[in-house]
Amino acid sequence: MTKGQIHAIVGENGAGKSTLMKILYGMQRPDEGEIRVDGKPVVFHTPADAIAAGIGMVHQHFMLADNLTVLENVILGSEPRRGGVAIDFRAARKKIKEISDAYGLAIRPDVPVEELGVGDRQRVEILKVLYRGARILILDEPTAVLVPHEVDELFENLRGLVREGLTILFISHKLDEVLRVADAITVIRRGTTVASVDPRDMTARHLAELMVGSELPSPETRESTVTDSVVLSVGDLTVRDIDGRAIVDGVGFDIHRGEVLGIAGVEGNGQAELVEALMGIRPCTVGSLTLDGKDITGWSTLKRREGGIGYIPEDRHRHGLLLEAPLWENRILGHQTRRPNVKGIWIDRTAARDDTQRIVEAYDVRTPGIDTAAAALSGGNQQKLIVGREMSGDPVLLIASHPTRGVDVGAQAAIWDHLRAARAAGLAVLLISADLDELIGLSDSLKVILRGRIVADVDPANVTPEQLGSAMTGAGEAAAQ
Amino acid sequence: MSERDEAAERGGGRPGAGGAGGFRDRLLGRVRLSGWLALAAPLLAVLFAALITSVVLLIAGSSPLAAFDTLVEYGSQPRTMAVILNNATMYYISALAVAVGFRMNLFNIGVDGQYRLAAVVAAGVGGAALLPGVLNIVLVLVVAVLVGALWAGIAGLLKVKRGVSEVIATIMLNAIATGLASWLMSNHLGVLTGNDLATRPIPEGSRMPGMELIAGTPKLVNGFLVVAIILGIAYYVLLNRTRFGFELRATGMSEPAALASGIGVKRMVVTTMVVSGAVAGLAGMPELLGETYKYSNNFPAGLGFDGIAIALLGRNNPVGMALGALLWSFLGNSSDSLQMINISKETVDIMKGVTVLSVIIAYELVHRYRIIAEQRRAGQETAASPAAEGAAA
Amino acid sequence: MLMAAAACGSGDDTSTATSEASSSAAPGGAALKVGLAYDIGGRGDGSFNDAAARGLDQAVSELKAEKKELEAAAGETDAQKEERIRLLASNGYNPVIAVGFAYSEPLKKVAPEFPDVKFAIVDDDAATGENISNLVFSEEQGSFLVGVAAAIKSKKDSIGFVGGVDVPLIHKFQAGFEAGAKAVKPDIKVQSKYLTQPPDFAGFNDPAKGKTAAQGMFDSGADVVYQAAGGSGSGVFEAAKAAGAMAIGVDSDQAALPAYADVKDVIITSMIKKIDVAVFDFLKRASEGTVQAGKTVYDLKADGVGYSTTGGKIDDITSQIDEYKQKIINGEITVPSS
Repeated sequence: MTKGQIHAIVGENGAGKSTLMKILYGMQRPDEGEIRVDGKPVVFHTPADAIAAGIGMVHQHFMLADNLTVLENVILGSEPRRGGVAIDFRAARKKIKEISDAYGLAIRPDVPVEELGVGDRQRVEILKVLYRGARILILDEPTAVLVPHEVDELFENLRGLVREGLTILFISHKLDEVLRVADAITVIRRGTTVASVDPRDMTARHLAELMVGSELPSPETRESTVTDSVVLSVGDLTVRDIDGRAIVDGVGFDIHRGEVLGIAGVEGNGQAELVEALMGIRPCTVGSLTLDGKDITGWSTLKRREGGIGYIPEDRHRHGLLLEAPLWENRILGHQTRRPNVKGIWIDRTAARDDTQRIVEAYDVRTPGIDTAAAALSGGNQQKLIVGREMSGDPVLLIASHPTRGVDVGAQAAIWDHLRAARAAGLAVLLISADLDELIGLSDSLKVILRGRIVADVDPANVTPEQLGSAMTGAGEAAAQ
Repeated sequence: MSERDEAAERGGGRPGAGGAGGFRDRLLGRVRLSGWLALAAPLLAVLFAALITSVVLLIAGSSPLAAFDTLVEYGSQPRTMAVILNNATMYYISALAVAVGFRMNLFNIGVDGQYRLAAVVAAGVGGAALLPGVLNIVLVLVVAVLVGALWAGIAGLLKVKRGVSEVIATIMLNAIATGLASWLMSNHLGVLTGNDLATRPIPEGSRMPGMELIAGTPKLVNGFLVVAIILGIAYYVLLNRTRFGFELRATGMSEPAALASGIGVKRMVVTTMVVSGAVAGLAGMPELLGETYKYSNNFPAGLGFDGIAIALLGRNNPVGMALGALLWSFLGNSSDSLQMINISKETVDIMKGVTVLSVIIAYELVHRYRIIAEQRRAGQETAASPAAEGAAA
Repeated sequence: MLMAAAACGSGDDTSTATSEASSSAAPGGAALKVGLAYDIGGRGDGSFNDAAARGLDQAVSELKAEKKELEAAAGETDAQKEERIRLLASNGYNPVIAVGFAYSEPLKKVAPEFPDVKFAIVDDDAATGENISNLVFSEEQGSFLVGVAAAIKSKKDSIGFVGGVDVPLIHKFQAGFEAGAKAVKPDIKVQSKYLTQPPDFAGFNDPAKGKTAAQGMFDSGADVVYQAAGGSGSGVFEAAKAAGAMAIGVDSDQAALPAYADVKDVIITSMIKKIDVAVFDFLKRASEGTVQAGKTVYDLKADGVGYSTTGGKIDDITSQIDEYKQKIINGEITVPSS
């Protein structure tokens, strides 16, 4: 890595990015090889060693105490002392101000962190690291939680830091962002470096192919498999929050056998609530709700699942998995009333385990075995397990919320393949995603949701991501028609 | 070399490490923890607790060696062993009741009130001798189970209907149970003998027979030992082999995931509390049906809290809790023998407390270690599998 | 003292004296090895365990006895109490004293196993046997006298009773106290409160609870409160002091105890229950080989219960109290015990 550069490391989930990062930050010891900082070999036993050598890390998940102010968060753990006891807030404030001004971070030290937006919090994290004297910053998937304009701001900040002579190690699998911001890119796959490239003569597609080591699949679906028979029919569905405000407002649509219906929208416009209402998790008022012609309005979540609705939840850790439980028990989750998992009141361990093995093989879940805890798997493999599970038991409808979010390119392609195959076999899919390429590529029809209402129908065959994006913000409704 | 070691070495991709690699692999968590390591955690914790206790004894001016000598000697007498086993039976049932709740993240502090109220009512019914012989035993047990279940069910309903934390509700219900039991005793069930108020004794034919299990002592082992073992097995089967147990554990591990999977979380809360209370109702039965045959002002109190400590000690595992109950009972019963050599009875409380703490810490460490180890293994699997494919091709 | 106790032994209660008393163990002269098992609270509870301990200590100093004391743990089973007594007996301690009625059932089981050991139990007459001496007290008689004192001293004709735990033993204190008060002033108002319900025995050791209960009584008009609440009693005294009212102590002459020096001004008298005397008497007989099995009732006649006059607060009415005392001794008044 060269000083004063933004160096990106890209690779699939499980390719070794996280391990490399942990080694650099002293959280894990390398088996062989050495690390050099400014030409001198160094050995890190703990993160403290790494900090001492000027390496700081900004984690993907923020580690901030909400009820403390920015200042307090920044100095937490390395408080400047006055007279050995009292915390010297004045000195701390001055230093924070200096750093913030020098790198253009625009930090207000006395605001409680809970009042800050995501982008601000990230800048606080960066400042925290700089405050401890870091000259090399490791950023682990920093854009995963940001909205586009926040990403732009972040990149602006990063360039500012680099101009001041800092070095940044940027870990990501969002290739277009990497191409935009990085000065140099290292691609790793299965633990080894496969290429060091210059972003100026790379395309995202080429980079992705380097990452997965093969030609990249695209999300496009070929021929239409849409039929006439309606699987799910929703009419006038409304979800209200505790204040009585409509979060989902009079939404209605039909999904047919073999059809993928995509819902596009900026996050927080009612998609999550719509999905939960359809699953019977969240109370709603509904004009009509039928599955295969049967009225399911009064059905419980369990009955809806038994009736053939598969569900890939948005947040797989919270809603989709029992992280501490082994894979085969996760196979049972959501299917705990159905064969092969149960016989009467008894869990059928043998059959459930065999079927888990089937899913692991058919969906290429990379795991040491089906007794491994779900938490031990990478995000992509966890998601493949969920997809495999929800495709089991012949569902007639799949509700897929962000099925490939936080998943590496390889797993993404695999999941797309499975969705396409199921669609061809007659599955109806409700697809909610923030990935516009995915939406356009997979969907047979697209609806745009804005502030809880369906504001536009879009034909995925003749729409560009740009057009769709403007429709989502409500700017170009006319343009999308 | 075992298959497992081979696999680990292949996975680790570190040729030439040889036998030493096996040890290091274990040490660094490249191999899944085998059974003996999981067992080592509590053993080490107990040893650690013994060390702390020694320090406490030294500070108090007593000889730790003499103390442990006394413990072993007293504990190994046949009579003491029978007493320890009998007490452990009660502790174990109480721990099972607590553990059922724990597995679902429900903290049933109310086991104490549940078993006491159940014992009072059951003792009253049993003393009335409504049914002859063994039938009366069955009646007493059914009443105890029902009362315990009902009392715990109130807390469950309060949580589901009104959002009252089960911790608060059960603490309050404990206090109410004390008052209610006292009222029942003074006004309906109690008979004054000397200065003690007790229920009418359960007739001879309706008592739980003891077993001559331990040679060398006339002291019989409480017949409820068998019941406790059956309950332990039932606990395991219920939680691990049934749909209900799966739903219970799933709810305990992640409530949102359970909801999304169509598990009726509210119904599970009430049901789990009822099951926990039903088991709790049985906790006082070994004493009632096997020792005193009546409920009196001297009926043992606080079993529910022992149960909490033992459930923690045994990590909700049926075998672990059995060992924990035995240890707990052993320590509790050694108080007198220690006092005989002028070590105060509070030493035993210190031993108990330190043991629970160190076991919890040890388990936590092993647990984290295991997760990290599994993550490493999963990571290696990802890296290793294509290599294996390549080799095959 | 010894004579008094001996006299009482042949009182109105049946004393199943056995003549084999002097046959075994403890021949006069040899040092006694005394084993004593306390009830919950143990030595230092400021109540009946402590009273027993005083008797034991007196025996250690006067009879050159050797002692071994074992304490009980909260929430233990009868089996554990049984083991405690057995441990003492099997380790050569003879005589063995069990303090508190909680040892009744356990002692019943252990005593036959050690026919040569002399056992005594305080506050219980349900456990009987050839080698068991039951040391019981007529708490209601002593309480009657302090009830008389309370009624006479009360200016508002309203008094109170605070019991530690709602158990039959404490009911005796309450019954005697009420009867005594009503004997003087039939219309007097008597409030009663128990601090806890069994099996929660915290009421014997919770001064804060005692204070609250007594405060409530003073607030609603009482001006004398009698406490039979063990360690919680100090709270009752504090409340009396704060309210400028009067209190009556229990078990020992509490106005004379250093622990209550701060509040001794409000303690007009105490109902004295001479457990220490009973324990020492038993030990002395054991050393002489003249232990009698069966019930020994320590009542007014035997001077096993009484009232104290420390502080001189009731000196003006002792003649009235003693009139009642004489009537009880003569049998003219029968004091209810519940």
